[in-house]
Amino acid sequence: MTPTISCDDLAVTLPGASGPVHILRGVTLAVEKAEFVSILGTSGSGKTTLLRVLGGLLPASGGTVRCDDTAISGPPEGVVTVFQDYAHSLLPWRTVRRNVALGIEARLPKSERDERVDEALTMVGLLDRAEEYPWRLSGGMQQRVQIARALATRPRVLLMDEPFGALDAMTKASLQDQLQQVQELTGTTIVFVTHDVEEAVYLSDRLVVLNGSPADIGLSLEIPLPRPRHQITTKERPDYLELRHRVYEALGHTVGEPARG
Amino acid sequence: MKREKERGGTPVRGLLPLILLLGLWELTGDPASPYFPPPSTWVDGLRPLVDGDKLLPAIGQTALTFLLGLSIATVVGAVVGTLVGASRPIDRALSPSLEFLRALPAASLVPVAALVLGYTTQMKLVVVVLPATWPILLTCRTARRTLSPVLLDTPRTLGLSRWHRTTKILTPALTPAVLLGVRVAAPLALIITLLVEIVTRVDGLGAVLGAAQASFLSAQVYGLLTIAGVLGFLVNWVVTRAETAVSRRMRGTT
Amino acid sequence: MARRVNLLGAAVFVLALVLWELLVRTSVLDFTYLPAPTAVGEGLGELLANGELLGALGHTLFAALSGWALAGLVGVAAGSVLGLVRPVWTYSMASLEALRALPIVAFVPVAVLLFGFSVQTEIMVAFYAALWPIMLNTISGMRTEPRMLESGAVLRLSKAAVLWKIRLPGATAMIVVGLRLGLSVSLVLTLVAEMVGNPAGLGFLLVEKGQALQPGQMFAAVFVIGVTGIVLNGLVMGAARLAFRGQMASSGEAA
Repeated sequence: MTPTISCDDLAVTLPGASGPVHILRGVTLAVEKAEFVSILGTSGSGKTTLLRVLGGLLPASGGTVRCDDTAISGPPEGVVTVFQDYAHSLLPWRTVRRNVALGIEARLPKSERDERVDEALTMVGLLDRAEEYPWRLSGGMQQRVQIARALATRPRVLLMDEPFGALDAMTKASLQDQLQQVQELTGTTIVFVTHDVEEAVYLSDRLVVLNGSPADIGLSLEIPLPRPRHQITTKERPDYLELRHRVYEALGHTVGEPARG
Repeated sequence: MKREKERGGTPVRGLLPLILLLGLWELTGDPASPYFPPPSTWVDGLRPLVDGDKLLPAIGQTALTFLLGLSIATVVGAVVGTLVGASRPIDRALSPSLEFLRALPAASLVPVAALVLGYTTQMKLVVVVLPATWPILLTCRTARRTLSPVLLDTPRTLGLSRWHRTTKILTPALTPAVLLGVRVAAPLALIITLLVEIVTRVDGLGAVLGAAQASFLSAQVYGLLTIAGVLGFLVNWVVTRAETAVSRRMRGTT
Repeated sequence: MARRVNLLGAAVFVLALVLWELLVRTSVLDFTYLPAPTAVGEGLGELLANGELLGALGHTLFAALSGWALAGLVGVAAGSVLGLVRPVWTYSMASLEALRALPIVAFVPVAVLLFGFSVQTEIMVAFYAALWPIMLNTISGMRTEPRMLESGAVLRLSKAAVLWKIRLPGATAMIVVGLRLGLSVSLVLTLVAEMVGNPAGLGFLLVEKGQALQPGQMFAAVFVIGVTGIVLNGLVMGAARLAFRGQMASSGEAA
């Protein structure tokens, strides 16, 4: 079976203030259909860069990047990135409804477009706020609008760049569960960048840890926790705690010593 | 980051079209043209003024009116702006009157001031001061209004006198706002100075410019326009520099 | 935020007028040609009655608005090109900045020289004055938030769609600011052109009444000019809010 989205021996070098900076080297990752893969790493480890390459927003300096069997050059069809800073990603002059319609309005007739927008807004629970302007909503709601905008295009792959990173813990937990439900409903492949270990273990089928400079994949870990997962019971399971322990270790934390970073 | 980039300024290459245009004008222009005399004739056009010792005094008059007007506007704007910003009731009481005064275009004040005050230097000053006050007043009002109360309470608990609170806390805290206002007000004051002079013909560069136009001395008009442009550029350059330098220092120390 | 009527402010305004009236009546303010507010009111009545005011107002508005509208077309078009096409910006911005340093009023004599004592002079001056704020605001408005452009890219919007749906609406609020600034400067500069160039309109009315030593009518004309400025600004804002509801609201301009 061909993976939905993959990279092989990927290298990324970006121009810096003092010469070129090598960010990624020899990264090989293949994400299967309907899989939920998290990319973990400390800040500055290149995880956002990796996601931008997969999303076609940044060209690779070496290696190959493929979506299905096609090499990626520019954002591929059916692959949508969700950014962390929702405030700058949504168009403030459009209502929620018209923001969600942005990706499909040129391609679909009006009736079908409305149907899709309603469907996407229902999935994120914002149908009753459709006529509001996004800047009148809370941060969590704005991020849900951005997710709905991606969902309205019926993507095969969602690339999410620390989507809940700027939200408070309560909002974050409820959005995590909503995202699980959405994936269960739609079967979308999700690549999820985060620096939150609990979040990665809780959500993923598999997680990879980026470390080193230039970074490559240090740990690749299957998360065989049963679904549906639950914020309280799943996080009490011994295997959850065991997995969490291993990830922290891979990130360079050791027991009895404060975190390094 | 964004600010830094803007500070970097525009590339000098961008002057190319202007230089090309002036060059083309020089090469193809008819020196006797009553409308578009080529740049080389502008200097000759200014010669009678220089020989008659009129040009420098005129520039001096304009500079004097401009500087005096801007200074008065700065003091008035800073004081009134600070007062209005310090108290909501005063703000509410004065703002409709101030708004109406602000809506009167400077140009319409010129003939009125000339009639009431006569064709004098004081009249010129009054006309310059009024519009130049607004930007300074407004930035000071906003700055005073948004000033942290802690900043004012701290010295009070330290037992500083009212005078020391004003000189040591309030004045430095509001200086960047005043300078920001001045940066906007200075080019405006220069424009209004020239405007009064063009309309009333009382002294200065504007008066000379108006007279040159009335006598159809087109080369001289273009020459004077260039001088006015240099003045405008200098004023802009100085106030932008001053504002940047001071606000950078303020940010560095706080 | 609900807008309450500022009674205190209105009272102070009226009080200032009364004080002015008293000071003039009691000759504490002793200028030969300073009219009291009542005399200004009378002057306004006279100007309205003999039809001078409306004629002059119409002329000035025609000139100022023609120049402004022309500047709107040229300014937005040129500003868009400068804001979107980097090489054009690189190879012309410095020239524009050099030209902008020329005080606009100094152009009035040049315009009179070129176009004579005609309404064209007024329109050209109004055009030139309004061009700058409109063009410069359009340029900065076109500096779109990069994340918004990326959002367009990941949703696979066409280039035209990005321009039409993201860049232009994003610039709207700035362009409206430019249009408002442009309108007020074109009104001012039209008045100047009427004072020193074309003998017509409100600008000339002011000069004429000054020479005829009729301060009451003169102050009345100034009052009308002030009100005209406020009304025009309000109209532009109102029209912008109607036409671009979302854009104006998101920039905090909604009433």
